[in-house]
Amino acid sequence: MSGAGMRVGFIGLGVMGAPMARHLLAAGHDLAVWARRPETADALVAAGAARCASPAALAARSEVVFTIVTTGADVEALAFGSGGLIAGFAPGAIHVDMSTIAPATAREIAARYAKSGVRWLDAPVSGGAVGAEQASLAIMAGGEGETLEAVRPLLEAMGRTIVHIGPVGAGQVAKACNQMVMVSAIQACAEAMRLAQAHGVDLAAVRQALMGGSAASRVLEVMGERMVARDFVPGIEARLHHKDFGLLIEEAVRSGTPLPIAGQVAQQLNALMACGWGRDDTASLLRVLERMA
Amino acid sequence: MEVGFIGLGLMGRPMALNLIRAGHSVHVWSRRRASMAPLLEAGAGDAASAAELAERCPVTISMVADAPDVEQVTLGPGGVAERARAGHIHVDMSTIAPAAAQRIAAALAEKGVVALDAPVSGGEVGAVAGSLTIMAGGDAAAFETVKPLFEAMGKSVTLIGAAGAGQVAKACNQILTGVGVAAVAEALNFATRSGVDAARVREALLGGFAYSRILENHGQRMLERNFKPGFKAWMHQKDLRIVMEEAHRLGLALPASAATAQLFNAVVGSGMGEDDSIAMLRLLERMSGAEE
Repeated sequence: MSGAGMRVGFIGLGVMGAPMARHLLAAGHDLAVWARRPETADALVAAGAARCASPAALAARSEVVFTIVTTGADVEALAFGSGGLIAGFAPGAIHVDMSTIAPATAREIAARYAKSGVRWLDAPVSGGAVGAEQASLAIMAGGEGETLEAVRPLLEAMGRTIVHIGPVGAGQVAKACNQMVMVSAIQACAEAMRLAQAHGVDLAAVRQALMGGSAASRVLEVMGERMVARDFVPGIEARLHHKDFGLLIEEAVRSGTPLPIAGQVAQQLNALMACGWGRDDTASLLRVLERMA
Repeated sequence: MEVGFIGLGLMGRPMALNLIRAGHSVHVWSRRRASMAPLLEAGAGDAASAAELAERCPVTISMVADAPDVEQVTLGPGGVAERARAGHIHVDMSTIAPAAAQRIAAALAEKGVVALDAPVSGGEVGAVAGSLTIMAGGDAAAFETVKPLFEAMGKSVTLIGAAGAGQVAKACNQILTGVGVAAVAEALNFATRSGVDAARVREALLGGFAYSRILENHGQRMLERNFKPGFKAWMHQKDLRIVMEEAHRLGLALPASAATAQLFNAVVGSGMGEDDSIAMLRLLERMSGAEE
Protein backbone atom coordinates (compact mmCIF):
# COMPACT_ATOMS: atom_id res chain seq x y z
CA MET A 1 0.00 0.00 0.00
CA SER A 2 1.33 3.43 -0.85
CA GLY A 3 0.85 6.59 1.20
CA ALA A 4 -1.11 8.59 -1.34
CA GLY A 5 -4.16 7.76 -3.38
CA MET A 6 -5.34 4.71 -1.46
CA ARG A 7 -8.70 3.10 -2.20
CA VAL A 8 -10.66 3.82 0.94
CA GLY A 9 -14.23 3.06 2.05
CA PHE A 10 -16.16 4.94 4.73
CA ILE A 11 -19.35 4.05 6.61
CA GLY A 12 -21.04 6.20 9.25
CA LEU A 13 -21.47 9.75 8.00
CA GLY A 14 -22.75 11.34 11.19
CA VAL A 15 -21.53 14.38 13.11
CA MET A 16 -18.10 12.78 13.43
CA GLY A 17 -17.89 10.64 10.30
CA ALA A 18 -18.89 13.20 7.67
CA PRO A 19 -16.01 15.64 8.29
CA MET A 20 -13.57 12.74 8.77
CA ALA A 21 -14.51 11.29 5.37
CA ARG A 22 -14.21 14.74 3.82
CA HIS A 23 -10.62 15.03 5.08
CA LEU A 24 -9.75 11.69 3.45
CA LEU A 25 -11.14 12.93 0.14
CA ALA A 26 -9.28 16.23 0.47
CA ALA A 27 -6.02 14.34 1.14
CA GLY A 28 -6.32 12.85 -2.34
CA HIS A 29 -7.60 9.36 -1.56
CA ASP A 30 -10.02 7.44 -3.77
CA LEU A 31 -13.00 7.48 -1.42
CA ALA A 32 -16.19 5.39 -1.60
CA VAL A 33 -19.10 5.54 0.81
CA TRP A 34 -22.11 3.50 1.79
CA ALA A 35 -24.90 4.93 3.91
CA ARG A 36 -28.01 3.27 5.30
CA ARG A 37 -29.83 6.54 4.60
CA PRO A 38 -28.43 7.41 1.12
CA GLU A 39 -29.18 11.14 1.49
CA THR A 40 -26.54 11.43 4.25
CA ALA A 41 -23.90 10.68 1.58
CA ASP A 42 -25.12 13.22 -0.99
CA ALA A 43 -22.70 15.98 0.00
CA LEU A 44 -19.67 13.67 -0.15
CA VAL A 45 -20.77 12.16 -3.45
CA ALA A 46 -21.14 15.68 -4.84
CA ALA A 47 -17.58 16.35 -3.63
CA GLY A 48 -16.30 13.35 -5.58
CA ALA A 49 -16.80 10.20 -3.47
CA ALA A 50 -18.15 7.06 -5.13
CA ARG A 51 -21.43 5.62 -3.84
CA CYS A 52 -21.70 1.88 -3.20
CA ALA A 53 -24.86 -0.22 -3.01
CA SER A 54 -23.83 -2.29 0.02
CA PRO A 55 -21.05 -2.66 2.59
CA ALA A 56 -19.90 -5.74 0.61
CA ALA A 57 -19.59 -3.69 -2.60
CA LEU A 58 -17.70 -1.03 -0.65
CA ALA A 59 -15.30 -3.61 0.77
CA ALA A 60 -14.74 -5.16 -2.68
CA ARG A 61 -13.29 -1.91 -4.04
CA SER A 62 -11.37 -0.82 -0.93
CA GLU A 63 -7.96 -1.59 0.59
CA VAL A 64 -9.15 -0.04 3.83
CA VAL A 65 -12.67 0.53 5.18
CA PHE A 66 -13.40 2.91 8.06
CA THR A 67 -16.53 2.65 10.19
CA ILE A 68 -17.74 5.06 12.85
CA VAL A 69 -21.19 4.04 14.09
CA THR A 70 -23.01 3.91 17.43
CA THR A 71 -22.92 0.42 18.92
CA GLY A 72 -20.97 -2.83 18.84
CA ALA A 73 -24.04 -4.49 17.32
CA ASP A 74 -23.95 -1.95 14.47
CA VAL A 75 -20.31 -2.78 13.75
CA GLU A 76 -21.03 -6.52 13.85
CA ALA A 77 -23.96 -6.12 11.47
CA LEU A 78 -21.86 -4.08 9.04
CA ALA A 79 -19.08 -6.65 9.14
CA PHE A 80 -20.98 -9.94 9.12
CA GLY A 81 -24.64 -9.15 8.36
CA SER A 82 -26.19 -9.86 4.99
CA GLY A 83 -24.30 -7.91 2.32
CA GLY A 84 -21.68 -7.22 4.99
CA LEU A 85 -18.08 -6.15 4.57
CA ILE A 86 -16.71 -9.68 4.93
CA ALA A 87 -18.42 -10.71 1.68
CA GLY A 88 -16.39 -8.13 -0.23
CA PHE A 89 -13.02 -7.92 1.54
CA ALA A 90 -10.00 -9.42 -0.19
CA PRO A 91 -7.46 -11.15 2.11
CA GLY A 92 -5.13 -8.52 3.53
CA ALA A 93 -7.77 -5.79 3.49
CA ILE A 94 -8.12 -3.71 6.64
CA HIS A 95 -11.22 -2.73 8.63
CA VAL A 96 -10.51 0.27 10.87
CA ASP A 97 -13.36 0.73 13.32
CA MET A 98 -13.38 4.19 14.89
CA SER A 99 -16.63 3.68 16.83
CA THR A 100 -16.65 3.42 20.61
CA ILE A 101 -17.56 -0.18 21.45
CA ALA A 102 -16.69 -2.76 24.12
CA PRO A 103 -13.11 -4.10 23.97
CA ALA A 104 -14.51 -7.64 24.11
CA THR A 105 -16.66 -6.99 21.03
CA ALA A 106 -13.66 -5.58 19.15
CA ARG A 107 -11.66 -8.71 20.01
CA GLU A 108 -14.49 -11.01 18.84
CA ILE A 109 -14.86 -9.23 15.52
CA ALA A 110 -11.08 -9.20 14.91
CA ALA A 111 -10.82 -12.93 15.63
CA ARG A 112 -13.64 -13.67 13.20
CA TYR A 113 -12.02 -11.55 10.48
CA ALA A 114 -8.65 -13.21 11.03
CA LYS A 115 -10.08 -16.52 9.76
CA SER A 116 -10.60 -14.83 6.38
CA GLY A 117 -7.26 -13.04 6.43
CA VAL A 118 -8.90 -9.64 6.96
CA ARG A 119 -6.96 -7.29 9.24
CA TRP A 120 -8.51 -5.17 11.99
CA LEU A 121 -7.70 -2.04 13.89
CA ASP A 122 -9.83 -0.55 16.64
CA ALA A 123 -9.14 3.17 16.50
CA PRO A 124 -11.65 5.12 18.55
CA VAL A 125 -11.24 8.86 18.72
CA SER A 126 -11.47 11.72 21.17
CA GLY A 127 -11.96 15.37 20.36
CA GLY A 128 -15.62 15.61 19.47
CA ALA A 129 -17.24 17.28 16.50
CA VAL A 130 -14.78 20.17 16.66
CA GLY A 131 -11.81 17.80 16.54
CA ALA A 132 -13.36 15.96 13.60
CA GLU A 133 -13.89 19.23 11.68
CA GLN A 134 -10.37 20.47 12.40
CA ALA A 135 -8.72 17.05 11.75
CA SER A 136 -7.22 17.34 15.23
CA LEU A 137 -8.64 14.15 16.76
CA ALA A 138 -6.76 11.99 19.24
CA ILE A 139 -6.77 8.45 17.83
CA MET A 140 -6.17 5.42 20.08
CA ALA A 141 -5.26 2.33 18.09
CA GLY A 142 -5.45 -1.35 19.01
CA GLY A 143 -4.10 -4.05 16.68
CA GLU A 144 -0.92 -5.13 14.91
CA GLY A 145 1.73 -2.42 14.60
CA GLU A 146 2.12 -3.28 10.92
CA THR A 147 -1.59 -2.74 10.29
CA LEU A 148 -1.41 0.65 12.00
CA GLU A 149 1.57 1.68 9.87
CA ALA A 150 -0.33 0.69 6.71
CA VAL A 151 -3.16 3.09 7.53
CA ARG A 152 -1.20 5.77 9.37
CA PRO A 153 -1.28 8.24 6.43
CA LEU A 154 -5.07 7.93 6.42
CA LEU A 155 -5.32 8.47 10.17
CA GLU A 156 -3.03 11.49 9.87
CA ALA A 157 -5.57 13.07 7.53
CA MET A 158 -8.15 12.93 10.34
CA GLY A 159 -6.22 13.31 13.58
CA ARG A 160 -3.24 14.94 15.18
CA THR A 161 -2.30 12.49 17.96
CA ILE A 162 -2.10 8.86 16.87
CA VAL A 163 -1.00 6.41 19.54
CA HIS A 164 -0.56 2.65 19.21
CA ILE A 165 -1.92 1.49 22.56
CA GLY A 166 -1.46 -2.26 22.13
CA PRO A 167 -3.09 -5.36 20.62
CA VAL A 168 -6.66 -5.64 19.36
CA GLY A 169 -9.12 -4.15 21.87
CA ALA A 170 -6.48 -1.93 23.50
CA GLY A 171 -7.70 1.12 21.61
CA GLN A 172 -11.16 0.60 23.08
CA VAL A 173 -9.70 0.19 26.57
CA ALA A 174 -7.95 3.56 26.16
CA LYS A 175 -11.20 5.08 24.90
CA ALA A 176 -13.05 3.77 27.96
CA CYS A 177 -10.39 5.42 30.16
CA ASN A 178 -10.80 8.62 28.16
CA GLN A 179 -14.57 8.66 28.61
CA MET A 180 -14.28 7.91 32.30
CA VAL A 181 -11.86 10.77 32.94
CA MET A 182 -13.71 13.23 30.75
CA VAL A 183 -17.30 12.65 31.86
CA SER A 184 -16.29 12.37 35.53
CA ALA A 185 -14.63 15.77 35.05
CA ILE A 186 -17.84 17.13 33.51
CA GLN A 187 -19.70 15.91 36.60
CA ALA A 188 -17.12 17.55 38.90
CA CYS A 189 -17.45 20.74 36.88
CA ALA A 190 -21.26 20.61 37.20
CA GLU A 191 -20.99 20.09 40.96
CA ALA A 192 -18.65 23.07 41.30
CA MET A 193 -21.01 25.23 39.26
CA ARG A 194 -23.96 24.03 41.34
CA LEU A 195 -22.16 24.86 44.58
CA ALA A 196 -21.30 28.35 43.33
CA GLN A 197 -24.91 28.78 42.22
CA ALA A 198 -26.21 27.71 45.66
CA HIS A 199 -24.11 30.44 47.25
CA GLY A 200 -25.35 33.03 44.80
CA VAL A 201 -21.86 33.50 43.41
CA ASP A 202 -21.26 34.50 39.79
CA LEU A 203 -20.51 31.32 37.83
CA ALA A 204 -18.55 33.02 35.07
CA ALA A 205 -16.22 34.62 37.63
CA VAL A 206 -15.65 31.30 39.40
CA ARG A 207 -14.87 29.55 36.14
CA GLN A 208 -12.52 32.30 35.06
CA ALA A 209 -10.64 32.22 38.36
CA LEU A 210 -10.36 28.42 38.34
CA MET A 211 -9.02 28.41 34.79
CA GLY A 212 -5.96 30.24 36.08
CA GLY A 213 -5.14 27.68 38.78
CA SER A 214 -4.51 23.99 39.37
CA ALA A 215 -8.12 23.09 38.54
CA ALA A 216 -7.75 24.32 34.97
CA SER A 217 -8.79 21.74 32.39
CA ARG A 218 -10.19 21.42 28.89
CA VAL A 219 -13.49 20.28 30.43
CA LEU A 220 -13.72 23.30 32.72
CA GLU A 221 -12.92 25.50 29.75
CA VAL A 222 -15.40 24.07 27.25
CA MET A 223 -18.12 22.45 29.35
CA GLY A 224 -17.83 25.03 32.11
CA GLU A 225 -18.52 27.72 29.57
CA ARG A 226 -21.57 25.86 28.30
CA MET A 227 -22.85 25.58 31.86
CA VAL A 228 -22.29 29.27 32.55
CA ALA A 229 -24.12 30.15 29.33
CA ARG A 230 -26.76 27.43 29.93
CA ASP A 231 -26.06 26.31 26.38
CA PHE A 232 -27.21 22.69 26.19
CA VAL A 233 -27.18 22.37 22.39
CA PRO A 234 -24.95 19.32 21.70
CA GLY A 235 -21.64 18.99 20.86
CA ILE A 236 -21.74 15.29 21.57
CA GLU A 237 -25.16 14.09 22.68
CA ALA A 238 -25.31 12.95 26.29
CA ARG A 239 -26.96 9.66 25.28
CA LEU A 240 -23.66 8.63 23.69
CA HIS A 241 -21.78 9.19 26.94
CA HIS A 242 -24.54 7.23 28.68
CA LYS A 243 -23.93 4.38 26.24
CA ASP A 244 -20.17 4.52 26.86
CA PHE A 245 -20.66 4.36 30.62
CA GLY A 246 -22.87 1.29 30.24
CA LEU A 247 -19.94 -0.40 28.48
CA LEU A 248 -17.28 0.59 30.96
CA ILE A 249 -19.34 -0.38 33.99
CA GLU A 250 -19.75 -3.83 32.39
CA GLU A 251 -16.00 -4.04 31.82
CA ALA A 252 -15.42 -3.17 35.48
CA VAL A 253 -17.58 -6.12 36.54
CA ARG A 254 -15.81 -8.42 34.09
CA SER A 255 -12.37 -7.54 35.45
CA GLY A 256 -13.33 -7.03 39.10
CA THR A 257 -12.11 -3.45 39.07
CA PRO A 258 -13.66 -0.98 41.51
CA LEU A 259 -14.61 2.33 39.84
CA PRO A 260 -16.36 4.23 42.65
CA ILE A 261 -16.56 7.61 40.89
CA ALA A 262 -17.48 6.22 37.47
CA GLY A 263 -20.20 4.15 39.17
CA GLN A 264 -21.73 7.33 40.56
CA VAL A 265 -21.35 9.29 37.34
CA ALA A 266 -23.17 6.49 35.52
CA GLN A 267 -26.13 7.08 37.83
CA GLN A 268 -26.17 10.81 37.11
CA LEU A 269 -26.19 9.94 33.40
CA ASN A 270 -29.09 7.53 33.99
CA ALA A 271 -30.95 10.37 35.70
CA LEU A 272 -30.12 12.68 32.79
CA MET A 273 -31.65 10.16 30.37
CA ALA A 274 -34.75 9.83 32.56
CA CYS A 275 -35.18 13.60 32.49
CA GLY A 276 -35.32 13.47 28.69
CA TRP A 277 -32.04 15.29 28.00
CA GLY A 278 -30.30 12.45 26.16
CA ARG A 279 -30.12 14.40 22.91
CA ASP A 280 -28.80 17.52 24.65
CA ASP A 281 -25.19 18.19 25.56
CA THR A 282 -23.65 16.39 28.55
CA ALA A 283 -23.37 19.81 30.23
CA SER A 284 -26.96 18.89 31.20
CA LEU A 285 -25.42 17.05 34.16
CA LEU A 286 -25.75 20.49 35.78
CA ARG A 287 -29.52 20.34 35.25
CA VAL A 288 -29.66 16.90 36.92
CA LEU A 289 -28.10 18.42 40.06
CA GLU A 290 -30.58 21.31 39.91
CA ARG A 291 -33.41 18.79 39.67
CA MET A 292 -32.11 16.88 42.71
CA ALA A 293 -32.29 19.91 45.00
CA MET B 1 -46.16 -34.62 40.87
CA GLU B 2 -43.58 -35.73 38.28
CA VAL B 3 -40.96 -33.02 38.15
CA GLY B 4 -37.62 -32.69 36.36
CA PHE B 5 -34.85 -30.71 38.07
CA ILE B 6 -31.90 -29.10 36.28
CA GLY B 7 -28.94 -27.58 38.14
CA LEU B 8 -27.87 -29.30 41.36
CA GLY B 9 -25.48 -26.77 42.88
CA LEU B 10 -25.37 -25.20 46.33
CA MET B 11 -29.03 -24.16 46.03
CA GLY B 12 -30.50 -26.68 43.59
CA ARG B 13 -29.42 -29.81 45.44
CA PRO B 14 -31.24 -29.13 48.74
CA MET B 15 -34.24 -27.76 46.84
CA ALA B 16 -34.56 -30.99 44.83
CA LEU B 17 -34.12 -33.04 48.00
CA ASN B 18 -37.00 -31.16 49.62
CA LEU B 19 -39.20 -32.00 46.63
CA ILE B 20 -38.42 -35.69 47.14
CA ARG B 21 -39.15 -35.40 50.86
CA ALA B 22 -42.52 -33.83 50.10
CA GLY B 23 -43.40 -36.97 48.11
CA HIS B 24 -42.90 -35.68 44.58
CA SER B 25 -41.39 -37.89 41.94
CA VAL B 26 -38.17 -36.08 41.03
CA HIS B 27 -35.97 -36.72 38.00
CA VAL B 28 -32.65 -34.95 37.62
CA TRP B 29 -30.12 -33.92 35.03
CA SER B 30 -27.00 -31.85 35.52
CA ARG B 31 -24.14 -30.83 33.27
CA ARG B 32 -21.73 -32.20 35.87
CA ARG B 33 -22.86 -35.77 36.44
CA ALA B 34 -21.06 -35.95 39.80
CA SER B 35 -23.47 -33.39 41.23
CA MET B 36 -26.38 -35.79 40.50
CA ALA B 37 -25.12 -38.54 42.83
CA PRO B 38 -26.69 -37.35 46.11
CA LEU B 39 -30.07 -37.03 44.40
CA LEU B 40 -29.89 -40.42 42.71
CA GLU B 41 -29.08 -41.95 46.12
CA ALA B 42 -32.16 -40.25 47.54
CA GLY B 43 -34.28 -41.93 44.87
CA ALA B 44 -34.39 -39.44 42.02
CA GLY B 45 -34.70 -40.64 38.43
CA ASP B 46 -31.69 -40.32 36.16
CA ALA B 47 -32.04 -38.46 32.85
CA ALA B 48 -29.50 -37.99 30.07
CA SER B 49 -30.58 -34.48 29.08
CA ALA B 50 -32.94 -31.65 29.92
CA ALA B 51 -34.98 -32.73 26.89
CA GLU B 52 -35.42 -36.18 28.39
CA LEU B 53 -36.64 -34.62 31.66
CA ALA B 54 -39.22 -32.63 29.71
CA GLU B 55 -40.40 -35.76 27.92
CA ARG B 56 -40.92 -37.58 31.24
CA CYS B 57 -42.34 -34.78 33.38
CA PRO B 58 -45.07 -32.15 32.83
CA VAL B 59 -43.03 -29.69 34.91
CA THR B 60 -39.31 -28.90 34.80
CA ILE B 61 -37.34 -26.59 37.10
CA SER B 62 -33.96 -24.99 36.42
CA MET B 63 -31.60 -23.50 39.00
CA VAL B 64 -28.45 -22.42 37.18
CA ALA B 65 -25.95 -19.55 37.22
CA ASP B 66 -26.98 -17.01 34.60
CA ALA B 67 -29.16 -16.23 31.60
CA PRO B 68 -26.99 -18.01 28.98
CA ASP B 69 -27.24 -21.20 31.09
CA VAL B 70 -31.03 -20.88 31.28
CA GLU B 71 -31.19 -20.36 27.53
CA GLN B 72 -28.98 -23.39 26.99
CA VAL B 73 -31.05 -25.81 29.09
CA THR B 74 -34.40 -24.59 27.80
CA LEU B 75 -33.90 -23.54 24.17
CA GLY B 76 -30.50 -25.02 23.30
CA PRO B 77 -29.75 -28.44 21.82
CA GLY B 78 -30.94 -31.15 24.21
CA GLY B 79 -32.96 -28.49 26.01
CA VAL B 80 -36.43 -28.62 27.53
CA ALA B 81 -38.24 -27.21 24.48
CA GLU B 82 -36.90 -29.98 22.26
CA ARG B 83 -39.14 -32.69 23.71
CA ALA B 84 -41.67 -30.85 25.90
CA ARG B 85 -45.34 -31.65 25.28
CA ALA B 86 -47.85 -28.87 24.65
CA GLY B 87 -48.74 -27.19 27.95
CA HIS B 88 -45.45 -28.14 29.60
CA ILE B 89 -44.51 -25.78 32.43
CA HIS B 90 -40.89 -24.72 32.85
CA VAL B 91 -40.00 -22.91 36.08
CA ASP B 92 -36.69 -21.05 36.13
CA MET B 93 -35.59 -20.32 39.69
CA SER B 94 -32.19 -18.83 38.75
CA THR B 95 -31.51 -15.14 39.18
CA ILE B 96 -31.28 -13.52 35.75
CA ALA B 97 -32.19 -10.16 34.19
CA PRO B 98 -35.93 -9.44 33.92
CA ALA B 99 -35.47 -8.65 30.22
CA ALA B 100 -33.78 -12.03 29.67
CA ALA B 101 -36.58 -13.83 31.54
CA GLN B 102 -39.17 -12.14 29.31
CA ARG B 103 -37.25 -13.02 26.18
CA ILE B 104 -36.89 -16.68 27.20
CA ALA B 105 -40.56 -16.90 28.21
CA ALA B 106 -41.63 -15.56 24.81
CA ALA B 107 -39.36 -18.00 22.97
CA LEU B 108 -40.68 -20.90 25.03
CA ALA B 109 -44.29 -19.82 24.45
CA GLU B 110 -43.70 -20.17 20.70
CA LYS B 111 -42.82 -23.81 21.35
CA GLY B 112 -45.92 -24.40 23.48
CA VAL B 113 -44.08 -24.24 26.81
CA VAL B 114 -45.45 -22.07 29.63
CA ALA B 115 -42.60 -20.34 31.47
CA LEU B 116 -42.54 -19.04 35.02
CA ASP B 117 -39.67 -17.06 36.50
CA ALA B 118 -39.42 -17.84 40.20
CA PRO B 119 -36.14 -16.66 41.73
CA VAL B 120 -35.57 -17.20 45.41
CA SER B 121 -34.15 -15.46 48.44
CA GLY B 122 -32.89 -17.09 51.60
CA GLY B 123 -29.56 -18.56 50.59
CA GLU B 124 -28.30 -22.07 51.16
CA VAL B 125 -29.70 -22.08 54.70
CA GLY B 126 -33.18 -21.34 53.35
CA ALA B 127 -32.78 -23.94 50.61
CA VAL B 128 -31.86 -26.67 53.11
CA ALA B 129 -34.60 -25.70 55.56
CA GLY B 130 -37.23 -25.41 52.82
CA SER B 131 -37.88 -21.87 53.98
CA LEU B 132 -37.02 -19.92 50.81
CA THR B 133 -38.85 -16.81 49.71
CA ILE B 134 -40.10 -17.44 46.18
CA MET B 135 -41.03 -14.55 43.88
CA ALA B 136 -42.85 -15.65 40.75
CA GLY B 137 -43.71 -14.04 37.45
CA GLY B 138 -45.86 -15.48 34.69
CA ASP B 139 -49.18 -17.18 34.03
CA ALA B 140 -51.44 -17.39 37.13
CA ALA B 141 -52.90 -20.81 36.25
CA ALA B 142 -49.44 -22.30 35.76
CA PHE B 143 -48.43 -20.74 39.09
CA GLU B 144 -51.35 -22.50 40.84
CA THR B 145 -50.40 -25.80 39.19
CA VAL B 146 -46.84 -25.74 40.50
CA LYS B 147 -47.61 -24.06 43.82
CA PRO B 148 -47.35 -27.37 45.75
CA LEU B 149 -43.80 -27.69 44.45
CA PHE B 150 -42.97 -24.15 45.57
CA GLU B 151 -44.42 -24.91 48.99
CA ALA B 152 -42.09 -27.89 49.34
CA MET B 153 -39.10 -25.59 48.83
CA GLY B 154 -40.20 -22.29 50.33
CA LYS B 155 -42.24 -20.68 53.05
CA SER B 156 -43.24 -17.42 51.44
CA VAL B 157 -44.52 -17.94 47.90
CA THR B 158 -45.84 -14.92 45.97
CA LEU B 159 -47.01 -14.40 42.40
CA ILE B 160 -45.71 -10.89 41.70
CA GLY B 161 -47.06 -10.37 38.17
CA ALA B 162 -46.47 -11.22 34.52
CA ALA B 163 -43.35 -12.84 33.02
CA GLY B 164 -40.20 -11.17 34.37
CA ALA B 165 -41.96 -9.75 37.45
CA GLY B 166 -40.37 -12.37 39.70
CA GLN B 167 -36.95 -11.27 38.49
CA VAL B 168 -37.84 -7.61 39.12
CA ALA B 169 -38.73 -8.52 42.72
CA LYS B 170 -35.45 -10.44 43.02
CA ALA B 171 -33.52 -7.44 41.71
CA CYS B 172 -35.20 -5.32 44.42
CA ASN B 173 -34.22 -7.98 46.93
CA GLN B 174 -30.59 -7.81 45.77
CA ILE B 175 -30.56 -4.01 46.03
CA LEU B 176 -31.68 -4.27 49.66
CA THR B 177 -29.40 -7.14 50.61
CA GLY B 178 -26.36 -5.81 48.70
CA VAL B 179 -26.57 -2.31 50.10
CA GLY B 180 -27.51 -3.87 53.46
CA VAL B 181 -24.39 -6.03 53.66
CA ALA B 182 -22.24 -3.01 52.81
CA ALA B 183 -24.03 -0.90 55.43
CA VAL B 184 -23.63 -3.51 58.17
CA ALA B 185 -19.96 -3.98 57.28
CA GLU B 186 -19.40 -0.21 57.39
CA ALA B 187 -21.18 0.12 60.73
CA LEU B 188 -19.30 -2.73 62.40
CA ASN B 189 -15.96 -1.53 61.01
CA PHE B 190 -16.81 1.98 62.21
CA ALA B 191 -17.51 0.66 65.72
CA THR B 192 -14.30 -1.37 65.86
CA ARG B 193 -12.12 1.43 64.55
CA SER B 194 -13.71 3.80 67.08
CA GLY B 195 -12.47 1.47 69.81
CA VAL B 196 -15.94 0.13 70.63
CA ASP B 197 -16.99 -3.51 70.92
CA ALA B 198 -18.77 -4.24 67.64
CA ALA B 199 -20.62 -7.21 69.14
CA ARG B 200 -22.28 -4.98 71.72
CA VAL B 201 -23.15 -2.43 69.07
CA ARG B 202 -24.83 -5.12 66.99
CA GLU B 203 -26.71 -6.42 70.02
CA ALA B 204 -28.00 -2.96 70.93
CA LEU B 205 -28.96 -2.12 67.36
CA LEU B 206 -30.93 -5.34 66.94
CA GLY B 207 -33.41 -3.95 69.47
CA GLY B 208 -33.99 -0.73 67.60
CA PHE B 209 -35.04 0.72 64.26
CA ALA B 210 -31.84 -0.45 62.54
CA TYR B 211 -32.87 -4.06 63.11
CA SER B 212 -32.57 -6.17 60.00
CA ARG B 213 -32.16 -9.81 59.14
CA ILE B 214 -28.80 -8.86 57.61
CA LEU B 215 -27.59 -7.17 60.79
CA GLU B 216 -28.65 -10.28 62.66
CA ASN B 217 -27.23 -13.02 60.38
CA HIS B 218 -24.50 -11.38 58.33
CA GLY B 219 -23.52 -9.18 61.27
CA GLN B 220 -23.03 -12.27 63.44
CA ARG B 221 -20.86 -13.92 60.81
CA MET B 222 -18.79 -10.74 60.45
CA LEU B 223 -18.15 -10.78 64.20
CA GLU B 224 -17.14 -14.44 64.00
CA ARG B 225 -15.08 -13.65 60.90
CA ASN B 226 -16.73 -16.65 59.29
CA PHE B 227 -16.24 -16.04 55.58
CA LYS B 228 -17.37 -19.49 54.47
CA PRO B 229 -20.23 -19.16 51.94
CA GLY B 230 -23.31 -18.86 52.37
CA PHE B 231 -23.89 -16.70 49.40
CA LYS B 232 -20.72 -16.17 47.43
CA ALA B 233 -19.50 -12.63 46.80
CA TRP B 234 -19.21 -13.18 43.03
CA MET B 235 -22.88 -14.12 42.93
CA HIS B 236 -23.85 -10.89 44.61
CA GLN B 237 -21.59 -9.05 42.15
CA LYS B 238 -23.44 -10.78 39.31
CA ASP B 239 -26.85 -9.92 40.74
CA LEU B 240 -25.90 -6.27 41.11
CA ARG B 241 -24.61 -6.30 37.54
CA ILE B 242 -28.14 -7.29 36.51
CA VAL B 243 -29.57 -4.47 38.62
CA MET B 244 -27.19 -1.89 37.14
CA GLU B 245 -27.83 -3.07 33.57
CA GLU B 246 -31.58 -2.67 34.09
CA ALA B 247 -31.00 0.79 35.60
CA HIS B 248 -28.96 1.76 32.54
CA ARG B 249 -31.62 0.41 30.19
CA LEU B 250 -34.47 2.16 32.01
CA GLY B 251 -32.67 5.44 32.77
CA LEU B 252 -32.91 4.99 36.51
CA ALA B 253 -30.62 6.57 39.08
CA LEU B 254 -29.52 4.03 41.71
CA PRO B 255 -26.61 5.80 43.42
CA ALA B 256 -26.46 3.64 46.54
CA SER B 257 -26.64 0.40 44.54
CA ALA B 258 -23.96 1.70 42.17
CA ALA B 259 -21.58 2.42 45.03
CA THR B 260 -22.20 -1.06 46.41
CA ALA B 261 -21.70 -2.65 42.99
CA GLN B 262 -18.26 -1.05 42.79
CA LEU B 263 -17.40 -2.37 46.25
CA PHE B 264 -18.34 -5.87 45.10
CA ASN B 265 -16.09 -5.40 42.05
CA ALA B 266 -13.27 -4.74 44.52
CA VAL B 267 -14.18 -7.77 46.66
CA VAL B 268 -14.10 -10.06 43.60
CA GLY B 269 -11.10 -8.30 42.04
CA SER B 270 -9.05 -8.83 45.19
CA GLY B 271 -9.63 -12.58 45.08
CA MET B 272 -12.47 -12.92 47.61
CA GLY B 273 -15.16 -13.85 45.08
CA GLU B 274 -15.52 -17.39 46.41
CA ASP B 275 -15.94 -16.15 49.99
CA ASP B 276 -19.27 -15.18 51.50
CA SER B 277 -20.46 -11.71 50.57
CA ILE B 278 -19.53 -10.58 54.10
CA ALA B 279 -15.96 -10.45 52.73
CA MET B 280 -17.11 -6.87 52.19
CA LEU B 281 -15.94 -6.31 55.79
CA ARG B 282 -12.37 -7.35 54.91
CA LEU B 283 -12.39 -5.00 51.93
CA LEU B 284 -13.46 -2.06 54.10
CA GLU B 285 -10.84 -2.94 56.71
CA ARG B 286 -8.15 -3.01 54.04
CA MET B 287 -9.36 0.24 52.49
CA SER B 288 -9.16 1.77 55.97
CA GLY B 289 -5.53 0.84 56.39
CA ALA B 290 -5.71 -2.53 58.16
CA GLU B 291 -2.85 -4.95 57.43
CA GLU B 292 -3.90 -8.35 56.12
